[in-house]
Amino acid sequence: MHELAHWLGTYNSSLGLYNAAILTTIFGSFCVSFTVILCWGRLVQDLGPIGGMLSAAIIIGTFWVMNHKLPGFGIHPELMKSAAGDTIQFGLIQQGGHGGAPWIDMGWAVAMGIWVCGLCESPAGTLNRRLAESLPRIALVILGGLIGGAFAGLVGYTGAELFGWPETAPQHP
Amino acid sequence: MSRRLGTLTGAAICGAVVFSVWPEMWKSYGIFGGWMTAAVVISICWYMNHWLGVIDNPEGKLWVDQGWAVGAAGIAWAMVRWQGGIDAFAACLPTLGCCLIGGALGGVFAYQVKKHLPGAGKPKGG
Repeated sequence: MHELAHWLGTYNSSLGLYNAAILTTIFGSFCVSFTVILCWGRLVQDLGPIGGMLSAAIIIGTFWVMNHKLPGFGIHPELMKSAAGDTIQFGLIQQGGHGGAPWIDMGWAVAMGIWVCGLCESPAGTLNRRLAESLPRIALVILGGLIGGAFAGLVGYTGAELFGWPETAPQHP
Repeated sequence: MSRRLGTLTGAAICGAVVFSVWPEMWKSYGIFGGWMTAAVVISICWYMNHWLGVIDNPEGKLWVDQGWAVGAAGIAWAMVRWQGGIDAFAACLPTLGCCLIGGALGGVFAYQVKKHLPGAGKPKGG
């Protein structure tokens, strides 16, 4: 038991994550993906567009608190540091590099889950065709996201400060 | 062509609005600000991209979710915003890997559960 606790609290410096954080990241992604696939479509069936908009609040909003809540306002105002000098994180999906590494959103998990579920549901013999058909559309959506995100990030050049973190990210120990 | 333009535009707007609004709402209103942002931002983006169908999802084909756009935007936004460079980008890859593994597991589990659960809906939206 002590060994397990020690392993969970061990910082894996090649991945930049605590071993426990690897488990919480996978588990948090699993939960949001599963819940969206099971509930969202059915709520839209039952309630129409209102069901979809309700799902956005009660599924994504709730799982945002689980996966992405941040240190700072409402949790700890001082950006408390862990033993390794990182900002302590409370969400299940741990962000690597803490302040310098790009943000990994649970949108990846949801999109991947819906896609994999669709692959599993493919009728026999249609898997490759469906897979090949979907890839250009996925690439286009990812490209669109990159463009939109890059434009949104340009405010960083106006001198605005985010999260109270310094513009140059602290390097990992 | 216009379907592709719609896919690209809907994805770009969804990604930009998520990362413009979410951090600011969280900073201003804390946890409830984050929850409210999902209600405000994801709902209208879903309505545009998936209910109206701005992101192209032909009938009977695999569902391409706006989550891809949000995830990609998170990386692009942070790269530009924090000016982290290639080292910082590499630091996000383990989290991305875990996130995709967890999401894929969720998809497989959901498929297995849905097989015996006729009440679960078809993936319109999500």
